[in-house]
Amino acid sequence: MEFLTKVYLVYSFVSLYFLFLFILIYLENRKKLLWYPISKKKYGVSIVVPCYNEEESIGKTIQNLVDNGYPYLKKIIVVDDRSKDNSYKIMKQYEKKYPGLVLAVQTPKNTGNAAGAKNYGAKFAKTELIGFTDADGFPEKGSIGKMVGFFDDLEVGAVTSTILVYNRKNFLERLQAIEYIVIKFTRKLLEFVDSIYVTPGPLAVYRREYFEKIGKFDEKNLTEDIEITWNLLAHGYKIKMCVPAKVYSIAPSKIKVWFKQRLRWNMGGVQTIFKYKKYFFKNGMLGTFVLPFFVFSWLLGVFGISIISYRLIRTLILKIFAVSYSAQTNAALLTLKDINLTPNVLVFLGITVFLLSFTFTLIAFFDIKEDRKFRRPGFGAMTVYMFFYLTVYPIILITAVYKLIRGHKKW
Amino acid sequence: MVNTKRWVFMQALLLTIVIFIMGMYAGVIFEEKKFAEANAYFTASEVSLMDVLALNELMSSKSVTCTDFTQANFNLLERVYEEAVKLEEYESSGKITESIKSEHKKYDMMRTYLWINFIKLKERCPTQYHTLVYLYIYNQDDLVKKAQQNVWSRILFEVKQDKGNKLALIPIAADNNLSSLKLLTIDKNITKYPVVIIDEKYVFSELTSAADLEKYLQ
Repeated sequence: MEFLTKVYLVYSFVSLYFLFLFILIYLENRKKLLWYPISKKKYGVSIVVPCYNEEESIGKTIQNLVDNGYPYLKKIIVVDDRSKDNSYKIMKQYEKKYPGLVLAVQTPKNTGNAAGAKNYGAKFAKTELIGFTDADGFPEKGSIGKMVGFFDDLEVGAVTSTILVYNRKNFLERLQAIEYIVIKFTRKLLEFVDSIYVTPGPLAVYRREYFEKIGKFDEKNLTEDIEITWNLLAHGYKIKMCVPAKVYSIAPSKIKVWFKQRLRWNMGGVQTIFKYKKYFFKNGMLGTFVLPFFVFSWLLGVFGISIISYRLIRTLILKIFAVSYSAQTNAALLTLKDINLTPNVLVFLGITVFLLSFTFTLIAFFDIKEDRKFRRPGFGAMTVYMFFYLTVYPIILITAVYKLIRGHKKW
Repeated sequence: MVNTKRWVFMQALLLTIVIFIMGMYAGVIFEEKKFAEANAYFTASEVSLMDVLALNELMSSKSVTCTDFTQANFNLLERVYEEAVKLEEYESSGKITESIKSEHKKYDMMRTYLWINFIKLKERCPTQYHTLVYLYIYNQDDLVKKAQQNVWSRILFEVKQDKGNKLALIPIAADNNLSSLKLLTIDKNITKYPVVIIDEKYVFSELTSAADLEKYLQ
């Protein structure tokens, strides 16, 4: 058996394993996906909103929080990280409009990352629970109230929500809308095996005591939301996800911005893996599943794209030479013999993996119910997402590792 | 609760193993079926070869003409050529087992034998046909050489289409470690592949157009 065939078989096996795992978790828990506990306690909540140059969205974010409808929301702490636009001015207007509820503060100097501004804002929170929302995230009415019930279980350290794309006008935005839906679905499934690996910035609530005990957000990490989740898991706390609590976030509209954002996510992810590498195959689900799952899925992606690129480049070079030689000798550029349609077992395996992942994506896609004002991505976006969008992931990861090696750690 | 969680990981693993083994098993059956088909073709060709050999033994007999001998060899060559094309298709589907690839060597052996037979035939009978032997490397890793081989196949296919029964086209993989073939190539001082030999006289190691080759086949 050829080396590449062996690699392909291992690749298919691992991919099939993860797909079956998710499908089984889904089948076992599909009736519990939307469930959330009704709180027995009246938890006081403070929400911290870090902000840097977000004059266009910060007002709407504050207003959404004010209108959220959770009666024990004590403070909305808006932290300006020394913006160069009118963000701080807008915050101050809201502080004036909602005295006692909205608090606008400014960091002494620009911290350079969201973690710095979040930690600064957290100093002003005195409530039992502390939540964080991005300055371009719009939590849906009632979302906070739905999340707090999970904290009745004293082992719960954090609760995350359903993050969806707010803007869906251009094609890139619609692709991200599908991606966010699939991520949301996968994250909820991971909750059933205690393996949620991120509490994303658009809306997450933490138990303040644990949040402070574990040392708050790591300001050196580019994805403080991944790092803090792993930190909580390493300390033995549980992470929950409240699917009905939705928050809409503004996704990048331009490829350059999107690529930069994904690069940061991947660089932060790699940083986190290295920080927690000592837990590999130890320490509960963090070491036995989250870490290996993270590493394996990345390796699979990188390995897959490397093999495909290798084969494509070889075929391309071969074709170029063949065309050039054919032209020199007046030979046919293409004959019927060049088209081989005889299938092989690897093709069958590839089709099985693809069909399973396509089914999984469709289940995720149709599992969510959204307000009609949000345009559902269509068949075209779904096709591009399945065939092209996902293949870019490994390229971003390789670039991220390269940048980290070169010492780029800027937000 | 913890056990239930662990169980789902085990269930997924078991399911993957079962599906994977079933897939591999189906793959092996599929490849073995192709191998059986290829083997059946070969057995039939082998019978024809024996028939040609028997015919050779009758060469001294005046009741068998040179045309009969040539035709019998040509018929077998055509058959072997068509089967080789089918075999090539099957080979690309053989990923798990190596059985189909071993068939290739058998066919190369048969074609080498046919080449030798044609050489002998030329000595005994007046030349009514041309032989064009194409020696190539089966496991070619060099992309430039691989591209050259692809183009050679196209050129030779074109030549064969033009010349029909007046040309015996014999493609043989030179890296199959056949001692008879080795001897023939040493005799012709051939060290580089791919190479085309017309009538055991003209050797072409550089790509040559169909029109230029046909000049030697008049």
